[in-house]
Amino acid sequence: MSLGTRAMTANYAALQATGHNISNANVEGYSRQSVLLSTKQGGFSGAGYFGKGVEVRSVVRSHDEFLTREAIGAKSTAKADEARLKHLELMERVFPTGENGVGHAAGQLLNAMSDLASRPSDTATRQVVLARAADVAARFSSAGSQLDALQGGVTEELKANVAHLNELAAQVAMVNDRVAAARGLGQPPNDLLDQRDLLISQISGYLQVSTVDAEDGTVAVFIAGGQRLVLGSKAEEMTVRPDTEDSSRMALAIKEGAGVRMIDSRALGAGSMAGLMRFQNEDLVNGRTLLGQMAAAFAGRLNEQQSLGLDMSDPPGAGATLFSVGGPQALPAGSNAVNGSGAYIGSVTLSTVDATQLKASEYEMVADPGGAAGVWQLTRRSDGLVRNVSSGDVVDGFRITLSSPAPAVTDRFLLQPVTRAANGMSRLLDDTRGLAAAMAVSASVGAANSGTASVGALQVVSTSINPALTASISFTNNSGAYNWQLRDASNTLVSSGSATWSAGAPIALNGFELSLNGVPKSGDTLTVAKTQFPAQNNGNALAFLSLRDEAFVGRSMLSTSSLGGGATITDAYASAMGSVGVSVQGARTASTMSDSLAGQAEDARAARSGVNLDEEAARLIQFQQSYQAAAKMLQVAQSVFDTLLDVARG
Amino acid sequence: MRITTANAFENSVRTLQQRAQALTESQDRLTSGKRVQRASDDPTAASRVERALAAQARTEADERALQASRNALAQTETALSNADDLLQSARELVVAAGNASYTDAERANLGQRLRGLREQLLQVANRGDGAGGHLFGGQGTAQPPFLDTSAGVQYRGEGGRQMIDAGEPLPMTLDGQAAWLQARTGNGVFLTSPAAGNGTAAWVDGGRVTNPAALTGDSYSVVFAVSGSSTTYSVLRNGAATAITGQAYVSGQAIEFDGMALSVSGAPANGDAFDATPSTPTLSVFDVMERTAQQLVTANRTGAQVTQTVQAGLRDLDSSMLRLQAYRADAGEMLNRADMVEGRLGEKRVAAQAERSLAEDLDMVAAVSQFQARQTGYDAALKSYAMVQRLSLFQYING
Repeated sequence: MSLGTRAMTANYAALQATGHNISNANVEGYSRQSVLLSTKQGGFSGAGYFGKGVEVRSVVRSHDEFLTREAIGAKSTAKADEARLKHLELMERVFPTGENGVGHAAGQLLNAMSDLASRPSDTATRQVVLARAADVAARFSSAGSQLDALQGGVTEELKANVAHLNELAAQVAMVNDRVAAARGLGQPPNDLLDQRDLLISQISGYLQVSTVDAEDGTVAVFIAGGQRLVLGSKAEEMTVRPDTEDSSRMALAIKEGAGVRMIDSRALGAGSMAGLMRFQNEDLVNGRTLLGQMAAAFAGRLNEQQSLGLDMSDPPGAGATLFSVGGPQALPAGSNAVNGSGAYIGSVTLSTVDATQLKASEYEMVADPGGAAGVWQLTRRSDGLVRNVSSGDVVDGFRITLSSPAPAVTDRFLLQPVTRAANGMSRLLDDTRGLAAAMAVSASVGAANSGTASVGALQVVSTSINPALTASISFTNNSGAYNWQLRDASNTLVSSGSATWSAGAPIALNGFELSLNGVPKSGDTLTVAKTQFPAQNNGNALAFLSLRDEAFVGRSMLSTSSLGGGATITDAYASAMGSVGVSVQGARTASTMSDSLAGQAEDARAARSGVNLDEEAARLIQFQQSYQAAAKMLQVAQSVFDTLLDVARG
Repeated sequence: MRITTANAFENSVRTLQQRAQALTESQDRLTSGKRVQRASDDPTAASRVERALAAQARTEADERALQASRNALAQTETALSNADDLLQSARELVVAAGNASYTDAERANLGQRLRGLREQLLQVANRGDGAGGHLFGGQGTAQPPFLDTSAGVQYRGEGGRQMIDAGEPLPMTLDGQAAWLQARTGNGVFLTSPAAGNGTAAWVDGGRVTNPAALTGDSYSVVFAVSGSSTTYSVLRNGAATAITGQAYVSGQAIEFDGMALSVSGAPANGDAFDATPSTPTLSVFDVMERTAQQLVTANRTGAQVTQTVQAGLRDLDSSMLRLQAYRADAGEMLNRADMVEGRLGEKRVAAQAERSLAEDLDMVAAVSQFQARQTGYDAALKSYAMVQRLSLFQYING
């Protein structure tokens, strides 16, 4: 009789477990449970051991520690890649292709100079140029604000993630507590364990974790390569703080008493927050500096060209500044030395010297590790180039000036020559007459010249030009030897000299460069004099137009001490766009791969722990039949008993 | 391997979503016709597109500049053609003035008409280009560039020509000073003129070059001496005597020296001199017309004086016409060049468009076939999902 009862109980328990499985088939994190049955040790009789049936030993969950960890790790990586990809795709929209791009707008501004060259005094044409200039500035600054918005999005998302993570960590601590309490009962609290695994898996979606099992059944959770998040029943609280280097960026920290301990973002590993931090600290900086470099170089070069020309004001003067851009800045680290009132003692100021030499990078400045006084070590972050600088040095087109008193040797600075350039970009010039379309001097060839020389191109190359001086050039032989004279307005000789012209080389005097077409002959004369009618002169508009082909973005000083190696504004934009595109492509590939890896790891885990309804149906039938058989046993036992009673009664 | 139900469903749903996404992408590309919609679709192609687009925009700007230049050049050509007509009329008037039977009044009438032509010519020279500029504005001028002053027509501007950039440099203006005010005096090599204070019975023709190799570039004068019935002449070079001294004078006969020849006609008085000085590029067409008109309206002049006026007038008008015709030819040549530049710009534009299209446009055939493949795939996935999800052991143990 007891044999049957035990069998019924055992099978009923098995049915119950199957039912539990079926009910939880779609619950995330649920591990399939099964009843562990074992044969009850038989009782001895003279005739041997008689089996006493079955007994329920335990309910166990189907679980594999390794596969679970694998799945959690893969998921963490996938989440990191996904978060980075999502934001990179948003950033890609800041660099659109074709007509919507900044590059196209910049090209169109230069193209409008062609119309200005055709009609230098036409107000409508000048208006078009100004409108295009406003368009370029607006596109640059709107691209900058879009990047700001992306930063804002990252900050919000980090905060939301951290809030969620804190909640999860607290729950893990709570479950730890309950698991430890249940430990005393001797049986595994399967559903609690499932819940804790799920919580840890969710945490690792935000941030990669490592876990250590403790003796008492609790699990310790660590983040960022060893920072304690949960220990036993106590959870730490994370928080989002402004970065100590650049307060416009965010960094993660752990609350510690009244203060916080900052977490190095490079140690975060994986998880969506790590992906966000990587996007913020690498991709967004990359986007900002590329955009800023273009904005600074474009604005700087156009402003320079504008200052070399004459506008239409009365009397005509050098062109006023066309664009303004956000200035360079040097940010002190939060740990720098402060004085009694909390202000930083030392500071660094940057000023742009040659906008066309600025590089798309940020720089890190620390005191010379060698200990030399007044020497600082400057690291270019884009390529890791390390240089030593002192106050007043010009590096990559900007000048570094240290304050007095000098910063402490423990101070660190983050230099951002171009990072904010695009954000503040605007068109300063509002008056159509202010556009400097005219050149300060114009050239003419003598009427009686017998050679074939004509004026190829005349360019003002320096603001030091004195337009009041008239340059007369007369050739003294047929192979290009010439005498030159500079005379002032009252025809007094200021300076003179002689030189030899060679084909292709310009004649440079008084801040202008004159290139000739054809060949001059002995006795030929050339005159470069002050432009008498600036309203109709288009020399500077043509110079603006030639900027279409000038590689003025990101030039470097070459070994021949000439400037070169830059890109035209069109090429610079195309390459910035391409660079962002490649990042997105790379991130997409990484995300696809890690997603599929995470899928496979999850498949492997689920294969072990998940519920298959068909299997459960089969088990249902199996245990149902066993249960029916056990009931039959009871029936048989009862009828045997009845028979015995009948005999006894009889 | 165990297939777990929840996971299997999830995987199927995810695969279905991926397929749907791929299908939508295909459709997007088909409808837009673009293979590259974002830089990440193909960064290299996106960069190519960007450059091709810049080249295209640039060609458009260059074409606008070309149109502006061509418009100005066509107007210049017309203006110079008008000037040519006016100068032809002037020439006819001057020829007519040489008619010996004309009275002073008739000649004065012709002189007045010549002045009228001069006025018209000045209008042509000051013609605007319809957009605020002047056809003969050079590198910039006062408005208008030619000013009729008491010292004759003055050019108030800078010589040279305004160039614009249409991929290649093209002019917007002509050099008005060079075209109108800087024709060569005389016959282009030397200028013959009667000395001041000459008698009124002899005149000199324009002269010609007989031996270019023998030209010296010096100033000469032919001085006459009349003694009784014999008239002789001597040639002075820069004021010094030459080998030609005391030659007998025959009216109309060529006097030759140092590669040049000129003929003096009529009856020169004792001491009359005719100068031959090197030609300079200083001849203003307006001065020629004004001087000739002035001389024609002057009464009581001898036949020799009138002939001298006609001779010099025709010579200088021809020189000015030649100059303007040279500039007209130049404008025509520039128009030709503009046509060629247009052809080149057209080619550039087509090349840029082709480049852009190659880089970003969709290969329709490949795209349609890909779309169909994806559609079939999606269809199959949906069908198999519908079939598989019906399979469950519970279906069979219901009964």
